Amino acid sequence: MNQENLKLLSSVLIITIFQIGIFNNMNLFNLINPSFYLLIFILYRTTFDRTLFILLGFFVGLLIDLTAQTYGCHTIAAITICFSRELLEKYSFGVNANLPKPMISGTILTNRLFFFFSIVFIHQLIYFSLVFFSFSFISTIIFYTLLNSIVTFIVIWVTTKIFFEKKR
Amino acid sequence: MQSIINSIIKYRNLIIYFFLLLFSFNNLYNNSGIHYTKLGNISTGIAGYSANQINNIKSYFNLITENKLLKEENLILKRKKLSYSPNKMESKNSAPNIISANVIKNTINKRRNFILIDKGSKDGIITDSGVINSSGIIGIINNVSPDYSSIISILNTDLKINVMIKRLSTIGSLYWDGYSPSKMILSDIPSSNQIKLGDTIVTGGMSFYFPKGIPIGTISNYETNLTEGYFDIEVSIFNNFSSLNNVYVIDNLDNEQINKLINN
Repeated sequence: MNQENLKLLSSVLIITIFQIGIFNNMNLFNLINPSFYLLIFILYRTTFDRTLFILLGFFVGLLIDLTAQTYGCHTIAAITICFSRELLEKYSFGVNANLPKPMISGTILTNRLFFFFSIVFIHQLIYFSLVFFSFSFISTIIFYTLLNSIVTFIVIWVTTKIFFEKKR
Repeated sequence: MQSIINSIIKYRNLIIYFFLLLFSFNNLYNNSGIHYTKLGNISTGIAGYSANQINNIKSYFNLITENKLLKEENLILKRKKLSYSPNKMESKNSAPNIISANVIKNTINKRRNFILIDKGSKDGIITDSGVINSSGIIGIINNVSPDYSSIISILNTDLKINVMIKRLSTIGSLYWDGYSPSKMILSDIPSSNQIKLGDTIVTGGMSFYFPKGIPIGTISNYETNLTEGYFDIEVSIFNNFSSLNNVYVIDNLDNEQINKLINN
């Protein structure tokens, strides 16, 4: 196992532990539980294998589901994000999509913002749609999605600024 | 084979994604009560809809058989109905034999109209048998070939049928004046009878062709002919002769005996 893989594995483990230990129990205003683990899917290097990425999303989602008793909602949202990330990257960064670390450095700020927020928003939308699972709750789903997306986005953005940009 | 493997490798991400999605939904379905109920409802709805559509298509192909069965069942019912009619009490013989047939040619625009049906002597049809359908009487068999028969339609100015006003049990004669295919003329009803518009006209049972009590039509108009002492009655018939399809030939088994007696 090379250094890159080890780094990936350790960061996945640390982020998942943070999610399970802290963010899953946050319950801010009885409404907000930021999905901090989305950081894994944002930071995953595009040069890595996509199949492995989907499997990684599945196992992380499953682990969080088991601890949060959400029975598969996180898993479905996570694998969908992993599967569609390539598309989101292309849509956000255009020709620069295949850069080694496009989401962290060397890209235009608005592109990065769009990429981060689109991943967070789509994930949250899928997750809350599955949690409520009814058309009659459409307004509640949108309300929860927006609120949690904003908080999750802030948490992830700040974390990348503090921990990942310094390493450059 | 190689191309299949190649395409599996090419679309492996999609395949893995759908496989994991299915697994997750299964997990959700089995463990969460709300999702179990809702997904169960959706699947029942889809299953019900598809089964219904398949059934519709299947039943369309079975229509010919279904129609045949219905005709046979109808025949049995007709036979039963006629065997229970008061005519049965007067008849020494068994109930009339009924043969189902399809109309293959029909005219209504002449003064002497004939109908052709797809059953003949091979099927047991004999001349002078009455022909009816579910709405009333059609006519009388006048010619029979091995496979086909021709019927003198009641819309034929030569034909007179013995009928009865159901409410009053008054006997009269029904004939066609050659004009409207939905109207006929009822004659020989004495003006001493209290007839009303809407009175039902049924077969009188005195013509050997038709059993008693088969509905024909209703009185739509009448005038009193003071000089003759009879009513001029116009009857709206139940049958629509422009759309005849399935008919029943009544082979009255007593006809032969009665004819012999009359001739003697």
